[in-house]
Amino acid sequence: AADKIRLIPQDFFAELCEQIIQHLNHKIPGINTAELCQRIQTSGVDINIGDLAKIANILSFLFSTAARNNLSTEELITTLGSGISALPKHAVQVIRHMWNEQGKAIAVSEDAGNMATVGQFVDMKWKLGVAMSSDTCRSLKYPYVTVTLTVADPSGQITNKSFEMTIPQFKNFFRQFKEMASVLETV
Amino acid sequence: QLVSALHNLTRHVVYRGLTRAEDILCLFPENFHQNLKNLLTKIILENISSWRNEAQASQISLPRLVDMDWRVDIKTSSDSIARMAVPTCLLQLKIQEDAALCGDNPVVSALTVELSKETLDTMLEGLGRIRDQLSAVANK
Repeated sequence: AADKIRLIPQDFFAELCEQIIQHLNHKIPGINTAELCQRIQTSGVDINIGDLAKIANILSFLFSTAARNNLSTEELITTLGSGISALPKHAVQVIRHMWNEQGKAIAVSEDAGNMATVGQFVDMKWKLGVAMSSDTCRSLKYPYVTVTLTVADPSGQITNKSFEMTIPQFKNFFRQFKEMASVLETV
Repeated sequence: QLVSALHNLTRHVVYRGLTRAEDILCLFPENFHQNLKNLLTKIILENISSWRNEAQASQISLPRLVDMDWRVDIKTSSDSIARMAVPTCLLQLKIQEDAALCGDNPVVSALTVELSKETLDTMLEGLGRIRDQLSAVANK
């Protein structure tokens, strides 16, 4: 992965580190790898999302371990050890700078919300539509609800999942959530 | 050839949304056998609504929700907090990819998500707004 880091322009690399640190600080719900990857690709760099995700994971592990052990900037750089020579100079510079500025402030203790073994729900977007016509039925008038769930996976990276529901399904969906909320109240 | 012709006839009826016997009867040519024509029309009318439902169910779409399971847990302790009582929701959604693309082997993926009280409230708010929109549209 170190050779892939080489490909990322310095400002994008800094942005990635920034998002990782903010996520570790619980300031943002997740790391927007997909969106960042698209912007990097648009700038002409040939990197795929799998590689970017791996790099994000490695950096996240590096920063969180350093936070847990209260490492100073020099100790952090030493930890990189032999890996350092494989990293491009600008990457080491960014890591050093980020850690100096923000590293010490990372809240190490995990609050109750933190053991992420499953995805964490971030947001929901919806759309109500009516299918008017299709190749099988000229006059359909079929209503449906489309939902996009934004989820931060256990590694902190943000993914979106979209799906459709019929109106009866939606009513059941809503009912289940109301039930969950009432259980949560009484527990 | 016979099967193909019948197939075309039924598809045409479903596409046009024909529901009356007269509309279907006039599709047949002039010299068509009278009893056969009536029998076919009767059979088509009997099946038309289930065919239409099937057409609606198998039209192209985004992946569909096929199942939903949930559970409420209470987090009692962790390596950093000795005692706590934090309720949390675990939700598992089973989502099936577009049936038209998968043919006979639909791909179902599971999405497991954790919701806190706050995020659950966000979800409920969004769902409430969908419900309001649905009522508004239904009343028009």
